[in-house]
Amino acid sequence: MERQLTNLLLVLICTTNIHWVVGCSSDASVTITTSIPNPLIEQLPIDVAIYYNDSMSQYVHSEDLGSYGNHTIDLRSQISVFNRIFNAMFKSVKPVDSIDSAEGRGVDAILAPSIEKFQFSIPEQTRKDFYEVWIQYRFDLYGVDGSLIHSWPVTAYGKANRLNYGGMQNEKSPALREATKWALRDAAASVSFSFVRQDLVREWFRQRAES
Amino acid sequence: MAIRTHIAFVLIATYWLAGCVNTTIQEVREANTSLGSTESIVILSRKHKTSGETENDFVSCVSGKTSSGEDGLSVMSERAFMDELFPWFEPRTAPINMKDLTDVISRPLISEKIRAVGVRYLVWVEGTTQRSEESGALQCTVVSGGIPACFGFLSWESGSDYEASIWDINRGINVGKVSSEASGTSIVPALVVPIPFIARVQNQACISLAEQLKTFIGA
Repeated sequence: MERQLTNLLLVLICTTNIHWVVGCSSDASVTITTSIPNPLIEQLPIDVAIYYNDSMSQYVHSEDLGSYGNHTIDLRSQISVFNRIFNAMFKSVKPVDSIDSAEGRGVDAILAPSIEKFQFSIPEQTRKDFYEVWIQYRFDLYGVDGSLIHSWPVTAYGKANRLNYGGMQNEKSPALREATKWALRDAAASVSFSFVRQDLVREWFRQRAES
Repeated sequence: MAIRTHIAFVLIATYWLAGCVNTTIQEVREANTSLGSTESIVILSRKHKTSGETENDFVSCVSGKTSSGEDGLSVMSERAFMDELFPWFEPRTAPINMKDLTDVISRPLISEKIRAVGVRYLVWVEGTTQRSEESGALQCTVVSGGIPACFGFLSWESGSDYEASIWDINRGINVGKVSSEASGTSIVPALVVPIPFIARVQNQACISLAEQLKTFIGA
């Protein structure tokens, strides 16, 4: 009986070792719940309406990586990340249902962020130690009359080192989640810096100040 | 007598299992340092590169060891510092030289926050631990009676190479650098049961770097 138990234990250890060494395809489904710290930035003296289209507010990325499994990343919490950074960037922020509905709401402009591209990679694909996430956003700034003032891209990047998760198969979901959180954090940082660095936005600011 | 024999066996086994590690420490001082009782340091890793990024656990290890002991320094965690100063010390926005740092801390919002959190020195850690010169082979099989057994011999060299640049926020200068290199050979002989003798080079590099930082900043 004791011998059988020992053999069973040894077989279990070997099976586990083979699983670690060989690895296997595994699916991953992660829901991002994140926030950003209170941003330390100077507030711009403008009132801005924010319009998120449905593809932005309901964004869920699904991708089949073949032998590496199906991957689903739920990015809907990005709205709270952007709301937080916009509240720090502008004097006041009002959510609106459409670009047209901002007129008469007492705002100076309408800002409409949208996702253009979402990509990720896992260590099995790249032969590197990192889970990586890239998000390409587009920010459209409209006047209250609906005319486009400026449109510019903002690229966000996040990564997570698999070695920080023990380097085993069950690292995938937490590492992918961490990489996406860093990408959202990077997006918030990038938009806070990029907004005032856009020449056309600065020109619009100058014209507002003169009028 | 038997207990003594067992203790001696455990000590020898521990020494073997830990493997041998050689460590080299270097220091370059460019200015004097002193840390007030209300001041602290923060140990940060560079995250803007796509490869060769310093491991999180190494930074945590150095932070922990630098703050421990009678001569321990007050150390703010990397994440807490990044959160307090968000978005100025993010992977893509962190200052990469003294001029960038001077520009960042010249902003009243930032300098006020740094004063509030009490951080005097930024310690930027760069480097990694890597395996090299792997050799040998290990094969596992199920022998008669259904018992798994491994045979063979594996060995590899591990090398840790880390450098810490120390910036004085108050004076806006680089006060010096400390580096820690550690190397060692790990082996896994297997005659039915594999027995690993692992050289813990990263841990040794962490301990050496932390001790040197305490001496350098606390001096």
